Amino acid sequence: MSQLDILLIILRVAFGAFVPLCFIAVLVWMERRGAGFIQDRSGPNRANIFGFRAGGLVQNLADAVKLVTKEDVIPGHVRHKFYFVLAPVILFVVSVLSFAAVPFADILVLDGKEYMMQAIPTDLGILWFLAIVGFAVYGIILAGWSSHNKYSMLGGLRSASQVISYEIPLALAIISVLIVYGTVNLTEIVQYQGQLLFGFIPMWGIVLQPLAGVIFIVAAFAEANRTPFDLVEGESELVGGFHTEYSSMKFGMFFMGEYVALFTSSAIIVTLFFGGFQIPWLSTETLVNNARPITVLIMLLLPALAYFFVKWINKNNKSHYARPDDPRVREAQVYTKVVWGLVIAIEIVLLVYLIAVSGGPADRILVTFLQILTFLVKTTLMCFVYVWVRWTLPRFRYDKLQKLGWEILIPLALLNIIVTAAVVVALS
Amino acid sequence: MNCWPQKVRLLKKSTKKGALDIMFADWLFFTFAVIAVLGATGLVLFRHPLNGAMSFIVTLIALAGLYALLSAKLIFALQLIVYAGAIMSLIIIIIMFLNIQPEDLPHEETKWMYLIGGAIIVMPIGLFMVKMVRTLPNISTEIVGNNFGGVKEVGIQLYQNWLIPFEFIAILLLVPLVGAVVLAGKRGKNK
Repeated sequence: MSQLDILLIILRVAFGAFVPLCFIAVLVWMERRGAGFIQDRSGPNRANIFGFRAGGLVQNLADAVKLVTKEDVIPGHVRHKFYFVLAPVILFVVSVLSFAAVPFADILVLDGKEYMMQAIPTDLGILWFLAIVGFAVYGIILAGWSSHNKYSMLGGLRSASQVISYEIPLALAIISVLIVYGTVNLTEIVQYQGQLLFGFIPMWGIVLQPLAGVIFIVAAFAEANRTPFDLVEGESELVGGFHTEYSSMKFGMFFMGEYVALFTSSAIIVTLFFGGFQIPWLSTETLVNNARPITVLIMLLLPALAYFFVKWINKNNKSHYARPDDPRVREAQVYTKVVWGLVIAIEIVLLVYLIAVSGGPADRILVTFLQILTFLVKTTLMCFVYVWVRWTLPRFRYDKLQKLGWEILIPLALLNIIVTAAVVVALS
Repeated sequence: MNCWPQKVRLLKKSTKKGALDIMFADWLFFTFAVIAVLGATGLVLFRHPLNGAMSFIVTLIALAGLYALLSAKLIFALQLIVYAGAIMSLIIIIIMFLNIQPEDLPHEETKWMYLIGGAIIVMPIGLFMVKMVRTLPNISTEIVGNNFGGVKEVGIQLYQNWLIPFEFIAILLLVPLVGAVVLAGKRGKNK
């Protein structure tokens, strides 16, 4: 193995491990601000470090400090302490691992060698996701069971039956998608979506398989135990569901695992149905061949975007009543400087690229960065859909939840498979 | 299971990747094998059914690791999805539903007698197995290549060369499924 190989292995694994973890902070922030926005209030906006609130992101830091410094209680009635401690670990590790097979950029060709941009460069793709996600239910079952408490037990049972019943429409939706793509390899699936339908519509999964897309998204909501399917922790009935007895970082593990699972399922939805890392109408080859004009375009667009962003910050980041020497205005001035500093730094990097190293491998690395950015933006938007749905729809009743799964989603998914298979056979 | 270390070592030697890789694959094999055997022992010896089920899951995951070492990717994934994921979670749900406490379990005073008696009876078979493994010819094996064991390759085998047996098995599996649904429906109506 050359040094480049080792460096790329480290980079890819680091991406696969740290990006989901960083997104915990982003998602918790998005959840709170999204909830505030939808319910017409401001959300967390007070926690600060020296007056800097970062739009509410500092609140997460305060939460983390709170969770870490809380007393870690294991109730005396818990008989199986090993399983009680193991349960949050399983849930967290499974959520992080399931992201490992998601491609975040197209295959990177350096020195004639191909590098699959996944944390684990396997061609198992979607099978890896299904295999790992199946273990999440153990975490919930064990937590519910070992808590030895009726609420937790009911939460665990509900969750287990819900996750198992919704895994069927999830897998069936995946089957009809796989019939279209003809491969389980997620990188190949995304490359397929880079084509154009009738020459002008991007061939995204949602265009080719709208029904499978809807079924998959609904089932993914249920798998991630998110509202409207969060009966697992329905606090009006079950106190906290399976994590009632957990405190401190053990609860924190559940909490973080939930958000990592949310990120991973958004990433999978984007990969299967929304073109993954593909920038619409611009395939990898087009990007590599036109790297210089695209760089110039970015260099022109970036200051414009930054201008509007800074204007937006200055408009919103001020006190709503008259204050002498408003600290929020001072805060906004610092943000303005930071944003322009970042813009200048990026412009310098791009300029150096244009003058010194453009053409050759640097183009491919630039394209990889652009695709990673596209993938992250799409995933963030999908995560926002999760937040949006959570604060818009009320919780299902349990029997209705099971009815939706078994009597609507599964027959629809089966019908979709038959129709898709017939169409694919007829067209080939 | 004892016949595998030799085979795996030979498999890895034929790829000529250097001494470090051979050692690594060997160590992985031994780790997985030991974990698999320990899990199976736990399944038999643990008193609480949930402990037994959990240690069986460990065995199943270790077996998946062994399949991956043999470069059978599809079977690796299926082992995790079907056995370690789906079937075992159903079994654990049933154990949870029954909510068995240590008091509910029967007293097994003659457990050790049975264990020792069983060991003595099984001993000749074990010795025979050891002898059989020792007489295995020392032939170097090579990886078949062409991504053998991958998803597409197994699919082509199943749906071209073994289509009729495959379909028969599918129908056989469908029959108990329909039967279970019919039986469950009947019991509901009588109430």
